[in-house]
Amino acid sequence: MRKKAAVYTPAASAFFMGLGQIVVLKQYLKGALLAVLEIVFLLNAGTLFKAVRGLITLGDPRPDLPVRLRDNSTFMMLDGLMALVVVIFFIIFYAINIVDARKQGKLHEKTGEVQTTRQFLKNLGEKAFAYIGLSPAIAMISFFVIIPLVYAVLLAFTNFSAPSHLPPNNTVDWVGLETFREMASLGGQFSSAFLRTSIWTFQWALLCTLTTYFGGLFIALALNEKKIRIARVFRTIFILPYAVPGAVMLFVWANILNGQFGPLTKILRELDAVEWLKNMGVLQSDAIPWLSDPTMAKIMLLLVNLWLGFPYFMMMITGIMTSMPEDIFEAATIDGADKFQKFRYITLPLLLYQTLPLMILSFSYNMNNFGGVYFLTQGNPSDNLTTGTFAGSTDTLMTWMYKLAYDTRIYNKASVIAICMFVVIAPFAIYNFARTKSFREGEL
Amino acid sequence: MRKVLSILNHVLTYTILVVLSVMVLYPIAFAIGGAFSPGKSLANLNILPFPANPTLDHFDDLFNRTNYILWYRNTFTIAVANTLVVVSVTLISAYIFSRFRFKLKKPMLMSFLILQMFPSVVGVIAIYVILNRLALSDSYLGLILVYSAGALPYNIWLIKGYFDTFPRSVDEAARVDGAGNLTVFFRIVIPNTLPIIAFLGITSFMAPWMDFILPRFILRSDSKKTLAVGLFEMITGRSNDNFTMFAAGALLVAVPFVILFVINQKYLVKVMAAGAVKE
Repeated sequence: MRKKAAVYTPAASAFFMGLGQIVVLKQYLKGALLAVLEIVFLLNAGTLFKAVRGLITLGDPRPDLPVRLRDNSTFMMLDGLMALVVVIFFIIFYAINIVDARKQGKLHEKTGEVQTTRQFLKNLGEKAFAYIGLSPAIAMISFFVIIPLVYAVLLAFTNFSAPSHLPPNNTVDWVGLETFREMASLGGQFSSAFLRTSIWTFQWALLCTLTTYFGGLFIALALNEKKIRIARVFRTIFILPYAVPGAVMLFVWANILNGQFGPLTKILRELDAVEWLKNMGVLQSDAIPWLSDPTMAKIMLLLVNLWLGFPYFMMMITGIMTSMPEDIFEAATIDGADKFQKFRYITLPLLLYQTLPLMILSFSYNMNNFGGVYFLTQGNPSDNLTTGTFAGSTDTLMTWMYKLAYDTRIYNKASVIAICMFVVIAPFAIYNFARTKSFREGEL
Repeated sequence: MRKVLSILNHVLTYTILVVLSVMVLYPIAFAIGGAFSPGKSLANLNILPFPANPTLDHFDDLFNRTNYILWYRNTFTIAVANTLVVVSVTLISAYIFSRFRFKLKKPMLMSFLILQMFPSVVGVIAIYVILNRLALSDSYLGLILVYSAGALPYNIWLIKGYFDTFPRSVDEAARVDGAGNLTVFFRIVIPNTLPIIAFLGITSFMAPWMDFILPRFILRSDSKKTLAVGLFEMITGRSNDNFTMFAAGALLVAVPFVILFVINQKYLVKVMAAGAVKE
């Protein structure tokens, strides 16, 4: 059998997994394992096929059956997805089987030798430790990170939504780009809400990043002055908003900004400012609409976010400034540069260069920031666009998606928003990837 | 003239810093003051956050009239379980990625790097359906799996990077002496990288405390509520009735957090800075 083993082995293995290894190379153990794999697959092929078909049909509506016997479309979708994953894995194994057969066949044809069972087991044992050790991580990440991402994309192409397309009572159907069209068609209610929310989300992320960055920079610079004696004390105070859990402080802020009873309103009342504003015609009542006037609410959201977010940049910038090389500054002093020039032409460019990645990460973080908006306003105040679309005037894409999914169960539209968020995050993910050391140096 | 300017500058800087300190401290002080103030509502709190006759009634109410202790225990359980899962799975995976060569290593590491950018929350609807399918909805196990899986890609990278800096020659020497994979892992790699493992443990422990969306989606029954959801519901829309009690509850979460933060601070800054500048 040595002649043409390089051709026969892969051919036989392509016909049935392990066949080439058994018949041509007499590698019984390996061949048997591979053959068993294919047999198991073939025995379950019917179930897999049904699951994949379910992914396409998503079940038939059968109002005559009791609820628990009806087709559950979302489960069928998931099963179909899993079946596809199994099929893909099987195809990969099949390919590995053929590649192995070709390699071993070539070796056999050239030298007449074959890998012995003992060698095979030793090889397997070494690799097995790596694969078995990684299997928990791989399983968890596949089930709870990768599949949800794929599944969320699929949901956007269905009509999975309240009131009439919610399993287990009703089935869900593929509707193609229908939902996308509704979100994008000009003049429609949802598209107007979508446009408004996207613009505000973008403004929110950009302004949050800039305010916290420059706020942190300002304080870091002020505390970096050699003459400030008790910089440590100030630094400890300024780090507090970062140390206390953010959500707790957002709840507290929501109360401080209570228009009627909050302490800020009370302070202004004590100063007679409320009375004065009322006489000026700015205020209609005794309450100050900190969070109930759209523009005011947006400003307050940004200010509270600044309060929460500046310590991070203060810490990072302080750290970078202390590690800046002294000699550049000395050289600049000798050349007659003044303090401002040193800051403008040395400190600032160095800082910007080193903190640019942080700013970009902060931007993408703020795009997805949920609590910073929801815990303060829940997306309110509402207006005429809110009826029907549920998007309040301070809702970002994140909070709107949450409300559509949790409060109103319009899952398909929520998924379209989720996809938009993927699309927005993706460039950041790739940027983040491209700037890593391991990527740049071409090794992992 | 120059001296006057310099003094003026000095005074101005200090004034700004003091004003900013007050702005930073006031909300915190207001919440602490609220926790000890008599009366239930926001309306009868003083502007100055120091109650004239402090009381512990709100802590009493919190323990006896609400499910606060239950929420705290639930969240604590989830946090501990999350820590155990994340630490054990991350360490073994990072060890393998750092020390072994195998075919799919590179594509796997690359996909982790990209995946860690997507917050699990974006896939929350899908996660909800998946947990229903696996009969894990409304269970801690489901929530813990989602949390820890979401944390793995980033943490594996972090710890792998750290293991890479630990010299390979040491574990090769042990191998020569007959140590197997697991012995090297438990006896050599882990004992020599304890600080980063402690850091990983603390951050995994802290992560679930104030999370809101996932527990609200996944844990639907009242008895399984977590702290963030419980506190949010206590305060939203009815702050005028409950503020002081909420403040007491918030204080009991914030204090351990600040302590953990202080313990972790040096390391935290270092890891964040390394992530930003070098990598």
